Amino acid sequence: MMFKAFGIGKFTGAVRLATVAAIGALAVATASTGAEAAAPIKIGLSITQTGPYSPPAVFELQGYQLAVMEINKAGGLLQRPIRLVSYDDQGNPSTAVQLYQKLITDDKVDLLVSPYQTDLTSAVAPLVNRAKIVMMCLAANVEAFDGKYPYLVQAMTQTSRYMVPVIDIAAAKGYKTLALLVQNTQFPIQLGEGVEAAAKKKGIKIVFKETYAPNTTDFSALVLKAAATHPDMIVGATYLADSEGIMRAAKAQNINAKMFAFSIGPVEPEFSKGLGPAAEDVFGTTLYFPTLNTKGNQAFVKAFTAKFGRAPDYHAALAYASLKILADAVNKVGSLDQAKIRDALLNTSEGTVAGHFQVTKTGMQIGYSSYALQWQKGKQELVWPQSQETTAPILPHPAW
Amino acid sequence: MLTTFFTLLVLGLLWGGVYLLMAEGLNLIYGVMKVVNLAHGDFIVLGGLLAFSLFSNYAMTPLVAFPLVALLLFVIGLIVQRGMLERITAAGPEGELRTLLATFGLSYVVSNASFLLWGSQFQSIPFLQGSIQIGPIAVPEGLAASSLIAFGVALLVHAWLTATIMGKSVHATAQSGLGAASAGLNIRKIRALAFALGSAMAGGAGALVITLIPFQTSTGGDLTVQAFTLIALGGLGNYLGAWLAAELLGLTEVFTQYYFGSNAASAVIYVVFIGVLVFRPQGLLGKVGRV
Repeated sequence: MMFKAFGIGKFTGAVRLATVAAIGALAVATASTGAEAAAPIKIGLSITQTGPYSPPAVFELQGYQLAVMEINKAGGLLQRPIRLVSYDDQGNPSTAVQLYQKLITDDKVDLLVSPYQTDLTSAVAPLVNRAKIVMMCLAANVEAFDGKYPYLVQAMTQTSRYMVPVIDIAAAKGYKTLALLVQNTQFPIQLGEGVEAAAKKKGIKIVFKETYAPNTTDFSALVLKAAATHPDMIVGATYLADSEGIMRAAKAQNINAKMFAFSIGPVEPEFSKGLGPAAEDVFGTTLYFPTLNTKGNQAFVKAFTAKFGRAPDYHAALAYASLKILADAVNKVGSLDQAKIRDALLNTSEGTVAGHFQVTKTGMQIGYSSYALQWQKGKQELVWPQSQETTAPILPHPAW
Repeated sequence: MLTTFFTLLVLGLLWGGVYLLMAEGLNLIYGVMKVVNLAHGDFIVLGGLLAFSLFSNYAMTPLVAFPLVALLLFVIGLIVQRGMLERITAAGPEGELRTLLATFGLSYVVSNASFLLWGSQFQSIPFLQGSIQIGPIAVPEGLAASSLIAFGVALLVHAWLTATIMGKSVHATAQSGLGAASAGLNIRKIRALAFALGSAMAGGAGALVITLIPFQTSTGGDLTVQAFTLIALGGLGNYLGAWLAAELLGLTEVFTQYYFGSNAASAVIYVVFIGVLVFRPQGLLGKVGRV
């Protein structure tokens, strides 16, 4: 059996179902001389390769794969090839815990990168920290990076910073009032707090704030109530379905504002596909954009598109960047001494495809920021910061 | 103040229509077969995603796709009833449980098949997104269209069940399969027709509702629970009761969301439901002993 060959025959059903992949092996075969004799450095992870949460996670995996390929092509790490050891956690935190246990004790991986999503990262954090192995984390919430787990390094923009660019645009336009709608789950709540803090700093008043249950499908009364306060901007700390629900309710009830902006939602192509004309001129945030004028971005977009047949999204870019940063840190240290690698990461201040990477002494990301995009004529345009814009933002939002 | 009140009233009634649309098929199947089809929500999502594909590949609007999708789901319903449900012994104390488990399994098959075909992202169709201004009140077009169709379907089904021979046979089978069979009715055919029709109604509902609520392949479970709550509230298998319950749900949700907040809105419906179960366990219009 294939599973036996990988030594997981004794694990539980969920794990046994997990597809086992030793990606990077191909790349190793073509690696340059000098890397051939040595045993590969193993970088372990579990990621959601199947199930409803898999699409963004697959982007992350592909970002890692591309980085591994490029590093091997350039001679590997410490004169050794590197290899990704990845398993499918199906988006299940307890499966992820079992898989990280296996990566550490059975596969004896040398380095780790995080699973997709904050929940899963939080689940494996204590285990990874106990094993004292450095893990680059693509998790936006900050709790795991306040010093509790010194071996975890945040390689993604902090949740609270997601919507700062949108507030900056509004402030530049002189907008004064904001209605905030927040999905009542962990990530959007933290995001909403970031919006409040940023608005306060810019002198924008929150005239309405309300949370709603994640399974809400009818937003008509909520949007009506928000509109009753006549805000300049209607801002949602949302995911895709609720951001569409709010826009749909606003259009269907003829509710206007100078600016509509959402956290997650407009960044997905489905936002415009599902809303059509109602998506026009709506703002969203993203952590990366293919046109960014960042270090190595052009080459990255080209290589990614050539290898996977689609343009990279922000998950792919952040994953790619985090592995490159990790490899740089290992090179600097010159060995696999985990404490030293961690210290090197904490002192890293470097440009990546996604922006500037820098963390605090506890591993919290303070370098990466976020970018504002707007749907214009059925296309996503990067509109903020001005130095990176593909076109100027259209404001105010035209009346329905 | 008054404008707000009437706006909320209109919105509540229209959302009630949408909820009715999604529950009608389940109600018909339960009424005739005493089977709770746990794959009902997944049928709705399947219908919606089919309409989504017809829209994005052939620019077919949901109103045009509606009959096509309904027909396709009719066929799927027929296959499920003939190939699976009628082969399961429904007699005996565990009979209902067996069919319930079978439809539970079916829900997984349908939602995972949808996942393989469409992936897991939320999809929706931009259609009738504007509003009709009536005095000071903006009436959402999409909601109005879906509600009108829901009411139309409810009336048609009611007329069919009470005024045609075929419908009366269905009604007779609903009241007593044994009685209907001994009176010479082909209850096998009638059950297949009811299940297929119920599935078609689920699919048709999906084709319209996906213009209002984005669907993901895993949305089906929530929709089943919502539809089941509604028909239980109305009195299982009772058509007028389901209508009443749907309006009650729509109004409660919209008014609670406005006056007590959105978090309360998602809970209050179940509070109403528990209240009805405690004080009128047969449902709003259900008859004692019929269920």
